[in-house]
Amino acid sequence: MLLRLDTSDTRPLHEQVAAAVRRAIAEGECRAGDRLPSARDLSAALDINVNTVLRGLRELRDEGLLEFRRGRGITVAEGASRRSGLQIRVRELVAEASRLGYSRTDVIDMIRGLT
Amino acid sequence: MTGAETGPKPRGRWWPTGAAVGVTAVLAGLPWALRDRLPDRPATHWSGGGTPDGSLPLWAACLVPAGVWLLTVLATSVRPRRSGATARPWRLMTLAPTAAVLVGAQVSVVRANLDHTDWHQARQPVLGVVLIGALAAVAAVAAWRFTPRPAAVPAAAPTLEVPEGERLVWFSRTANPWLLLLAAIAGLVAVVALAALAVGLADPAGLGTACAASAVVALGCALFSSVQAKVSEAGLEVSFGPLGWPVRRWSPAAIETARAERRLPSQVGGWGYRISGLGTTVMLRAGDCLVIRPRGRRADFAVSVDDAERGAALLNTLRSRPSTD
Repeated sequence: MLLRLDTSDTRPLHEQVAAAVRRAIAEGECRAGDRLPSARDLSAALDINVNTVLRGLRELRDEGLLEFRRGRGITVAEGASRRSGLQIRVRELVAEASRLGYSRTDVIDMIRGLT
Repeated sequence: MTGAETGPKPRGRWWPTGAAVGVTAVLAGLPWALRDRLPDRPATHWSGGGTPDGSLPLWAACLVPAGVWLLTVLATSVRPRRSGATARPWRLMTLAPTAAVLVGAQVSVVRANLDHTDWHQARQPVLGVVLIGALAAVAAVAAWRFTPRPAAVPAAAPTLEVPEGERLVWFSRTANPWLLLLAAIAGLVAVVALAALAVGLADPAGLGTACAASAVVALGCALFSSVQAKVSEAGLEVSFGPLGWPVRRWSPAAIETARAERRLPSQVGGWGYRISGLGTTVMLRAGDCLVIRPRGRRADFAVSVDDAERGAALLNTLRSRPSTD
């Protein structure tokens, strides 16, 4: 799998790690059931502290994209590729809204208002 | 006395046959040509200590080494049919030292038996044994030097478009469940043997060997049951086994070029960590391999991982790009 990290990104590093893995899953770099490189390997390759990497991976677990399994390492969850594509779009939407001066609640209200 | 097998450089098609026939002729003809000065049964075996403990009739002393030689030639001639040019370097690497050993041994045997009437009088050719070892080493080195290398580095190495300000990292992993299974079985055998040894169930000597052998097999199979390859700004890192140890690393500057190639276990001599005419190959399954040519080396390093094309491309891009940080 190929991971892309934007060096000019100003977001916190753990978010960048999560974004890179999310993107990799959405682009089909790794499929459901595939094993992710260990946090230690990711940390060495990306030159990011291992705890920061783990924090990013935990965020993805909470989003339902990754599964942490004892003894089998970190694997890509079932149906993660569809979900991650949607996740990326939702995040883009929220970022665009905030750029235009709308809060998250505004966006949620807008979605609720859709019929 | 061993010029026939290492002398000619690999140029024409006649030389392998010519060299093989020449060595056969020397092996079979030398005792026969000197039969008037040799005993009826030349001494052919010494177990240290100077006096011989084995002899053969003259015809057998002529034919056995020649037979061994011809069998070796046959055995090494079968492989190139299946896997093409790749096995050829190994053929010469096998045949040159074999020829050196056989011819050296034959000359030593003849010399030891020369002008004796009974084979018991023949002394052990100590100097001969040392010389044979040295000759075999020289023949092996000469064969290595004169062997044509696998094709030169391909000109069109794949590269990857890396947008400015983006850091790319490539990971790939291959596992061979069969090797893991084999490791588990061997490990189980080792544990059972150890337990039997502790309880004193069977002969300790045999059991100890079985325990040690299966432990080595288990460890070897476990180490090469999976392999991880990683390409980052630090270069290529290949780590083995479930623990990710041992590790081999190359910085981008230490790599001349990288490419992807299809390789089969039959080309490199089986599964696991293989050294062959193609260089070193970590072979876990047939198919795509990431192949690198380390700078200043004549042999490649290859590892069988998926998506090798992009790994090689990223490695080439990192290599050609001046390091930014």
